[in-house]
Amino acid sequence: MSRKKALVVVIVVALALAPISFVGGSVGAMITGSEPLSIFDVSRPHVELAAEKPFLGLPITNTMIAVWVSISVLVALFLAGTRKMKMAPTGLQNAIEFLCEAASDFITNVAGEENERRFFPLVLTIFLFVLANAWVGLIPGFGSLKLSGTPLLRNANTDINVPLMLALVSIVSVECWGFRAKGGGYLKTFVNVGQLGQGFDRLLKGKIKAGLGGVFYGIVSAFVGILEMLSHLTRVLSFTFRLFGNMTAGLILTGVMIFIVPLVVPFVFYGLEALFGLVQALIFSGLTLVFGYAAVMASE
Amino acid sequence: MEMTAEAAKFLGVGLFVSFGTLGPAFAIGWIGKTAMEALGRNPEARGAIMTNMILSIAFAEAVAIYVLIIAILLILVV
Repeated sequence: MSRKKALVVVIVVALALAPISFVGGSVGAMITGSEPLSIFDVSRPHVELAAEKPFLGLPITNTMIAVWVSISVLVALFLAGTRKMKMAPTGLQNAIEFLCEAASDFITNVAGEENERRFFPLVLTIFLFVLANAWVGLIPGFGSLKLSGTPLLRNANTDINVPLMLALVSIVSVECWGFRAKGGGYLKTFVNVGQLGQGFDRLLKGKIKAGLGGVFYGIVSAFVGILEMLSHLTRVLSFTFRLFGNMTAGLILTGVMIFIVPLVVPFVFYGLEALFGLVQALIFSGLTLVFGYAAVMASE
Repeated sequence: MEMTAEAAKFLGVGLFVSFGTLGPAFAIGWIGKTAMEALGRNPEARGAIMTNMILSIAFAEAVAIYVLIIAILLILVV
């Protein structure tokens, strides 16, 4: 009962704090025409698309430092989890095994038992890297650390170079998987002129009707090959912009919400950001898996 | 009233965002509706429906995100 009461009190206080902070904040002050209260006076979010360099003269950007942080977090977690391995796992080792098993099950579901080993390392790595970048960026105080005016750390996914690099890695690996599984025959996905040749062959032999049909379908399938090539190239773009856009939009959205209503309401968006980080990590790794499977299974 | 280049830019960005987000908005609503229908028909498949719904929503949302990126570029860079 006391727990229920405490919950009610917390909700009431939260509901009361939100409008108070809105009226006292910068936007509310603009509407009422008074000075904003100093505790609610949040500076306007400052949108910077390119990563900034906190150290003057050194070509080290703040997103690079954030990447190092997330890599060290991942390495530390996995080192600690696999240090003293036991047959019956407990604690961190258990969590890591659960994660790996879940990923393995997911990949087996999508691509089948025989392809699981092929896709597992890269897919799980991309998932963990994107997730770590997103969630490390949510730690309170992450963006507030400043060195001579420029933030020392910034969510690495909001620098377009990181998503672009991941997209390139993903696409190049997909093509490698395709070539390894099918050898030179994988090229047929892009340059499909076999049917066209057959059609011309028939045409020369005097079978006009079958020949014309063959030539027609040959042209169509050659065109489909070109489309396939284009779609493989545009994947890089869509991969990059999906991750970059979602993360940048999240950063700006949270900043704007803190600017408008400094208390309570930003928590909602903070939670949404945590969810979006997970969803984007899932999508990036899942699409790599699906494209890889399509390349391995490409019909001839 | 004369229209300055600045005003035209903001007007263009506003129109662009409002029309560009129409499609994803409809798509997300439709995904939600069909997911609810599927859930009503087959409540045991809750987990699978949920995962696929969130994935599809993220795909539809990506289009809105492209709109957002171009809007930000228009305002900040051009």
